[in-house]
Amino acid sequence: MTGRKAMISDLAVFGGPVTFDPPRSIGSLANPDPEKVLRYSRIFYDRRWYTNNGPVNRMLEARLAEWHGAAQCVTFASAFWGISLAIRRLALPGRREVVTPSLTYRRMGEIIASAGMIPRYCDVDPDTLAQSAETTRACVNDDTALILGAHPTIDCCDAEGLERVSVETGVPLLLDSVESAFETSKGRRVGTFGRAEAFSIHATKLVNGFEGGYIVTDDEELAEALKLMRGFGIPGEDQIVSFGINAKLNEIHAATALASLDDLPALVERNESRYRAYEALLDGLEGLSLRRFNESEQTSFKNILVRVGEELPVTRDEILAVLQAEGALARPYYSPALHAHKTWFETRFDALPVAERISREYMLMPCGDQMSLDDIATVVDLLHFIRERGGEIRSRLLERSGLEIHTGYDPVRVQRFGSPEDVP
Amino acid sequence: VKRAAGDFACAGGAPEFTSDVPVGQLYFPAWERYESDIRGIIDRRYYTNHGPLVRELESRLEAFVGVRNAVTVTNGTLGLYLLALGLELEGKILIPSFTFIATAQAFLLAGVEPVFCEVDPATHHMTPETAEAALEEGVSAVCAVNLWGGSADVPGLERWARSRQLPLLFDSAHAFGVERVEGRVGRFGRAEVFSFHATKVMSATEGGCICTDDDDLAERLRNTRSNYGIRRPMPVPLTVNARMSEAQGAIALASLDDLETRRSNNRLIHDAYRSLLNVVPGVRLVEPGNVVRSNHQSVTIEIAEGEYGLSRDRLWSILRGEGVQVRRYFKPGVHRSFPFATMRPQQVEALPVTDALCERVMQLPIGATLTAADAERIAGLVSDAHLHAEALRSRA
Repeated sequence: MTGRKAMISDLAVFGGPVTFDPPRSIGSLANPDPEKVLRYSRIFYDRRWYTNNGPVNRMLEARLAEWHGAAQCVTFASAFWGISLAIRRLALPGRREVVTPSLTYRRMGEIIASAGMIPRYCDVDPDTLAQSAETTRACVNDDTALILGAHPTIDCCDAEGLERVSVETGVPLLLDSVESAFETSKGRRVGTFGRAEAFSIHATKLVNGFEGGYIVTDDEELAEALKLMRGFGIPGEDQIVSFGINAKLNEIHAATALASLDDLPALVERNESRYRAYEALLDGLEGLSLRRFNESEQTSFKNILVRVGEELPVTRDEILAVLQAEGALARPYYSPALHAHKTWFETRFDALPVAERISREYMLMPCGDQMSLDDIATVVDLLHFIRERGGEIRSRLLERSGLEIHTGYDPVRVQRFGSPEDVP
Repeated sequence: VKRAAGDFACAGGAPEFTSDVPVGQLYFPAWERYESDIRGIIDRRYYTNHGPLVRELESRLEAFVGVRNAVTVTNGTLGLYLLALGLELEGKILIPSFTFIATAQAFLLAGVEPVFCEVDPATHHMTPETAEAALEEGVSAVCAVNLWGGSADVPGLERWARSRQLPLLFDSAHAFGVERVEGRVGRFGRAEVFSFHATKVMSATEGGCICTDDDDLAERLRNTRSNYGIRRPMPVPLTVNARMSEAQGAIALASLDDLETRRSNNRLIHDAYRSLLNVVPGVRLVEPGNVVRSNHQSVTIEIAEGEYGLSRDRLWSILRGEGVQVRRYFKPGVHRSFPFATMRPQQVEALPVTDALCERVMQLPIGATLTAADAERIAGLVSDAHLHAEALRSRA
């Protein structure tokens, strides 16, 4: 790591030395204990049972169901396919639209399209950054097949409110709870809302299982249907009774997720200390405000979200360009909003002013076990420097590129501003 | 050895095997290799999103198959799905019904309706003739399936597909490492899809890869698979998650290192079965056709009930009783399965060759869980059941 930047030309974006090598990303990247991964692996290894609902997968499902306080858990090769299959199963027949917030996971539209449905994007609430009962209800119509609620990266959406909309309209509620695996909402454990809730065990999530996802529900029939769908619709030998694909979770991924769960309390403690460091260092830094967790609820303190105020002489995207060049791979928060994506599949939406504004204002900061407290201090130092020298940085960036800077998840830009292997 | 019908487990005798012998390759790296791979991944903190092991795997697969692009995926089914998206297939695709259900499901997931053709009764593969007979309005591509460690009539199918101006794909889930006169399977048609499921000779627990010489198609596939591992951004209908993790990559690399050992072990087992089964009346061992070298991944037999004395299903249940987990792939035929039977009712009674195979064909165990001596014991059971067929029939 290099020392503080004294001059503008010390910034990596202008040819100075890179601060973080390897780069630090926004994924949590909890490193599971190899001994525990190997211990769980022994279970499938000794039985030569490597996939197809193996013993470790079943242990993981039982553990996750208990953790969320739900009756059933079904794992998948990824959250993408878990949600896609659940949409197919839960959608009201004969209807095409799935209501989901425009400010959520960048592939949510694709997930909905992969299930043969049309996303209907709703706006978000400026206070929670999530869709509210009102913004959701406004999008429910005669063609609404499913409400696909999504928790934001900090705190929860009003899951109870969405449940009310579901009851009032008769449209089933599925929740994408990927960012809220550890949380409670009004004291109630995430995993117990709606018809079902979906989670990810991708390596960048709280529970690291390489790749994978799961759905929890109290509905036994739904769980059985999803188990069939993830395994070719085959209930037993020589029978095929439902639509199916291959979306099975393999045993190594299941073993790794179990090892990660074992160490979760310690990870949450480390997350909290990192959050406290950001909180203290950003305190009083005008124009850059940390989005605080609601500590009256259970929370994992995983994500670090910062709002960039309009009073700063640099834009959010210019700050991101500078940080990313330094190997601090901060990311724009759900930007561009989903309704602004160009897609080959049909999307539907009305004016979404709040989602559009928020998609320009926030950035996710590097977090997780890869970030030491010193790293956090260094990142905040960089923010101080960018803020103080913002005007010069801005004109130099504009002079150099002559173009507006975009730092969304554009792979070309990733290669330009950071290492191509930036996000493990 | 079962000297009398009463010695069979189904008649109260002791089962031949005390623990079940599965069908399926089930090879896995030695524990030491597995352990060091897992430690290496955790040290590197690179778990997925096109990591170093997956990148190495793709280059090694390209070199091994002799193809310009190997695009690894979560599993073979998603590989076929990606291919349908990458080629922007619409309407219908012609496939044999005598295949694993996933072939049809992958295309259906992509919104493409499968149209089923017959297969050759001897090789179990589709042919230019069966393809031509099933061709109908709206078919925009054809996907042949390479079965049982053998290969379809590739040059014939390529000529036919060209004459019909249809892209030709191969579901080569069974065919990794299989060699034809022209080279390794994986280089033919527009693209081929392999499965690296644990039951295959090349395992990644779950996994697969798409091979193609078409750089443009490969790039569309990479753009469809994920945002990671893209060499050049291209507009695609959908970007999904069909990535292979570093854990899967590690197991696949170890499988590739071990492939020749696996193949020769399989071959010894296959040879043991052949020498004993080929003399049993009514039993035909299906030899891997059209190849100079098979992966010997499957031991597939056909039972002719009249000559053998017992039906395939009766033999299946006798062997199950003995601890031999024989499988009846593929039963039921895809054209008779959900939802294809209702999607295409006109085909339910239209595929007599496939229907007959679904009633005659059975897979015997081969792979990591057994030795050539075990294969001889299993073949002995098949032979003994024939000798005592009449008595066993009456016990059914």
